[in-house]
Amino acid sequence: MIRWLTSMRTAVGLLIAMTALAVLGVLIGQQLPPEVYVERFGHAIGTLVFRAGLGNVFRTWYFVALAGLLTLSTVVCSLKRIATLFTSSNRRLRVFGSLITHLSIALIAAGGVWTAVGGFRQAAPRYMEAGDVIEAPAGGFSIRVDAARTEFSDGGVLSEYLSEVTVLEDGNEVRQHRIEVNEPLVHNGIGVYQFEMLPSASSVREVLLGVVIPADRPGATDARGAAALAGEAATEAATPLHLEVPAALHERVPVLDTGISVEVLEFLSDFTYDIETRTAGLASPRHDNPAVFVQVWENGRLAGEQWVFAGVAGHEAEGLPCRLFFLDYIPDFDRGLTRFEFTHQPGTPLLFFGFAALSLGLCLVFWTRKAPPNPA
Amino acid sequence: MTQNPDMLYFWIALWCYLGGTVAACVYAGVRRPAVRGIVFALTLAGFLANTVALIIRSVISGHPPVTGLFEYMTLFAWCIVLGFLLLWRRKGLDLVAVFGATAGALALAMASLFPAEINQQLIPALQSYWLWIHVSLAVLAEAAFTVAFVASVMYLIGQGRDFRGMPDGRKLDTVTYRAIGIGFPLFTIGALFAGAIWAQKAWGSPWSWDPKETSSLIVWFIYAIYLHARFVRGWSGSGAAWISVLGYAMTIFTILGSKILGGLHSYGV
Repeated sequence: MIRWLTSMRTAVGLLIAMTALAVLGVLIGQQLPPEVYVERFGHAIGTLVFRAGLGNVFRTWYFVALAGLLTLSTVVCSLKRIATLFTSSNRRLRVFGSLITHLSIALIAAGGVWTAVGGFRQAAPRYMEAGDVIEAPAGGFSIRVDAARTEFSDGGVLSEYLSEVTVLEDGNEVRQHRIEVNEPLVHNGIGVYQFEMLPSASSVREVLLGVVIPADRPGATDARGAAALAGEAATEAATPLHLEVPAALHERVPVLDTGISVEVLEFLSDFTYDIETRTAGLASPRHDNPAVFVQVWENGRLAGEQWVFAGVAGHEAEGLPCRLFFLDYIPDFDRGLTRFEFTHQPGTPLLFFGFAALSLGLCLVFWTRKAPPNPA
Repeated sequence: MTQNPDMLYFWIALWCYLGGTVAACVYAGVRRPAVRGIVFALTLAGFLANTVALIIRSVISGHPPVTGLFEYMTLFAWCIVLGFLLLWRRKGLDLVAVFGATAGALALAMASLFPAEINQQLIPALQSYWLWIHVSLAVLAEAAFTVAFVASVMYLIGQGRDFRGMPDGRKLDTVTYRAIGIGFPLFTIGALFAGAIWAQKAWGSPWSWDPKETSSLIVWFIYAIYLHARFVRGWSGSGAAWISVLGYAMTIFTILGSKILGGLHSYGV
């Protein structure tokens, strides 16, 4: 058994087997739903791929067994070669490097196993906005979000997602931190990472409304002239007047000289309607079905109000002097919704130590003054 | 064609490398020192233009040219040609060295297929000094693997045949071995170790079995097999050369694969 484990052929064979499985894993795709494999490879092969665990090949017993055997082989082989460290004085550094290299594989494997057994990685169950508090799944602390925003460069290109947070222990403020993509918070061994960021689901920086005024409405002709002066697209006198009106939330905006004003009272990024309570609400914090609640005023008097949906033609409502369209909007990135990921990776220091040892060992083997002789 | 200031030098480099390739083919046939000199001059001129292109790009973008496949392949070409230029002074290896221009031309031709816009603002995930440590070491390693690949291919072509001026098999085998001896530690430090540290910082885990991570591990496995196989009877010589070729095929797949397979690395290279 020891002879088999320390054989070079065994090591090469194990490496080939692991390589073959890894190639399969990459080509097949990992951790996809079973139906995707069936769709890609047909029913028979797709089912086989899933049942054989090839869809999650790096966690199958046979891949783990191969990795374990390879680790055992390198360790036994290294221990067997320790004696040569004291005999071959002219190549001592390289032999030492080779030993470190092979033993480091065991450290890396041990680090990986430690994390797999004692660690976790889980996304927070919800998005949070400024003022919200969430308890970390371990470590005995909570996180309060003080601010969450997406930042852009002067050229309008996304530059950073960031969450300013305060760490709370037993309700007391312990520390403050700015979590960015490459700057996680690490507290009591728990890492808190910027996982997702959405613009506000209920606030909006600016809404672009389309206002269509009937051609026969008093003042439409004057408005048409004003529109032309304002650079709006001119329309024929017999056709309704189409205008684009930018409006901030809670800002009453006059529609040229028509006597009509519009005011956006509410924004919902993913509109849903509860029939029982007869109230509008958010289906999710995503921007899947944005809608605005708009009041229309005519000569200083409330003419009516309605929900208007992006991408849907505004309906004619009784009493409204115009038709409304929700053309576009600029999301509110300053009042963002942030979502964290909590991780605990106890084996990572050992894993990094193993990687450092591996790197050092390889440098000693290949880059010391006398490079290893070509064994061929 | 020359939308960015660096593009002029990019195209000069590509044309020089292409000229060097033609001259290298002529040299392989006639073996005249004058032609060898032309190959060297064109390769060096291309290398200098390649250097200027990379410097201009870095100055304009404000970061090292390691984001996106255009920049990666341009830097890759530079590292490859640097590797081959180092072989010029080695006796009896001039037929390997002259094909540095070919490898550089192929890498730049590949680069030209990708968008060349300069991104002054990096996306949040790439805003880390680990970007240039991780990528630059990986690209140096992959350039060393390119030298090993060319030597392996010449070894396989020359095996059992009598080509005039072809370096002897043992010499080619040694070039392959030494190049992998340079590339393997660099790849370990840059692609795997530095990559793991950065992944821990950015994604919360040093390893996620992402397609690019896994492909890199496969590359590492294949070259580890190469290094061990040389001690196994019957595997050295052409067997090892074939493993080197396979390793390089996987290296190229690793560079370009995330375009096809997606994953965590799909925003960059």
